[in-house]
Amino acid sequence: MPITESDLPGVGKKFEINLDDGEMVVVIHNTGKREVFRRPNPDADSEKVFEFSDDLARTIGSIIEGAHFQPVEPATQETTLPGGILLEWYELHPGSPLIGETLESADIGNRTGLAVVAIQRDDEVIDSPGAQTTLREGDTLIGVGTPENCEAFEEILTG
Amino acid sequence: MAEALLELGVMFAAIAGVGALANRLGQSVIPFYIVAGMVLGEFVLGRVALPVVGTTYIPESEFIAIGAELGIVFLLFFLGLEFNLDRLLARRRQIGTAGTIDLANFGAGFVLGWLVFGAFLPAFLIAGIVYISSSAVITKSLIDLGWIANDEAEPMLGTLVYEDLFIAVYLAVASAIALGGGDVGAAAVDVGIAIGFILGLLGLVQFGTPAFARLVDTTNREFIALRSIATVVLVAGGALALGVSEAVAAFFVGMAFASTDHTHEIETLLEPVRDTFAAVFFFWIGLVTDPLLFGGVAALIALAVIVTTPTKLITGFLAGRAFDLNARRSTRVALGMTTRGEFSLIIATIAVTAGEAGAFDPALAATINAFAVGYVLVMAILGTTLMQYSEPFESAVASWLDRSEPAGDGESSG
Repeated sequence: MPITESDLPGVGKKFEINLDDGEMVVVIHNTGKREVFRRPNPDADSEKVFEFSDDLARTIGSIIEGAHFQPVEPATQETTLPGGILLEWYELHPGSPLIGETLESADIGNRTGLAVVAIQRDDEVIDSPGAQTTLREGDTLIGVGTPENCEAFEEILTG
Repeated sequence: MAEALLELGVMFAAIAGVGALANRLGQSVIPFYIVAGMVLGEFVLGRVALPVVGTTYIPESEFIAIGAELGIVFLLFFLGLEFNLDRLLARRRQIGTAGTIDLANFGAGFVLGWLVFGAFLPAFLIAGIVYISSSAVITKSLIDLGWIANDEAEPMLGTLVYEDLFIAVYLAVASAIALGGGDVGAAAVDVGIAIGFILGLLGLVQFGTPAFARLVDTTNREFIALRSIATVVLVAGGALALGVSEAVAAFFVGMAFASTDHTHEIETLLEPVRDTFAAVFFFWIGLVTDPLLFGGVAALIALAVIVTTPTKLITGFLAGRAFDLNARRSTRVALGMTTRGEFSLIIATIAVTAGEAGAFDPALAATINAFAVGYVLVMAILGTTLMQYSEPFESAVASWLDRSEPAGDGESSG
């Protein structure tokens, strides 16, 4: 899914998204207005399909993103923070080598660079978990780090 | 006091009214604002006796003149705010080629001006007036027609960025020469001061960003608006007091703010301010233009339209080609770039200002101003209309190129 991003001086930004049957072009104006265009092939003229205000675009965006209803549970969840830092959460599935380790003995920070900022265990949330916290099967670890940190962590998560 | 307020009320009502009309006709608002000013000013309404109120018109009050000045300042401030050097450098090969080809229009204008006036300064002003395409009108048409999402938007906006940079330097030099009395030799010192001032402002842009960022680093929107207005108007006023173009100063202040994190916020907050004063500027241009002078410059306007429409068409087409566009899309670039507007008028005000200051023959200044206004009225409407009805031109160029290039080099599909 290649996405091309380009500047439109004095107007805003343009995003071109390749789809199976043509291209979608999203123009985000400096005013916040969004315009969505469609073109059957790269040589054709863009036809405007939708125009949204900033507020409406965000609402529709969150619906499409699945914030309100997700029929399929994705393997991992991630949110990009400003600066390209990812906020990701991982479930400890049975067989993960991390189960039974403490945060200190697993040495996640030094090995991967990922900072574990919270652990969700059943209905409770352990925020800023201490070094002696033992990881259990079914825990959800919430981590913050660069895409490289996350990738390194995914490796030790499954062993 | 009451009378002055009523005049302003009539002015804004007229601007708002013709703006809505222009929008309905699918035209740019600029020519409509100018005509509104012309009709309500001393040269049209002032010459007729109305049945009940007698002769009444909107005079060129000090407020309207200053408002017009602020319009110029804010137009250039926004140009600087939206100017992005990185963007220019990222596509420097294509934008550089397109923009340099576009300079041919400046040469054509200079030759035209020299043949008509036989002097350097008028030729130099005419060259600038016919060279610069209208960012405001072209951008609006691109959005209205949906071309903004197509590939033809890039050479157009790219060439406009090149023109903006050129015009910043041009305005500094032209106003120094004009205020110096039109004598290039005697103006050398003034040009030196102007270039020194530009270098100083460039230094400010380069090293002053932290200071500018601190200035607007507040969550209070009122303060952000007031502080950025204060900075740009203060620097522009200071520049004018030193005999340097206020427009150029405003451009560089805009560039300095562009490197802060508050660019978007300043744009959002000040856009209505810019639009208000820019409308006053176009209205003012109409007020000070005597339509009777059009009779004297009609031949010159016609000549300029006949010469500079094809030159812009050719350079625009080649700009499209420099961006690897096919014949159809390059034709759209060509049609769009013929549009001239706000910056041609700003250049004309250099002549008016120099004329008022006694540095320039007032009759010649009035002629150049009338030429610029007439030329912009024609080119703004012509350019917008050509873009709206581009289809036959596209087909004609595409089929003509296909025939002359049997190898099929003209239309590339990809």
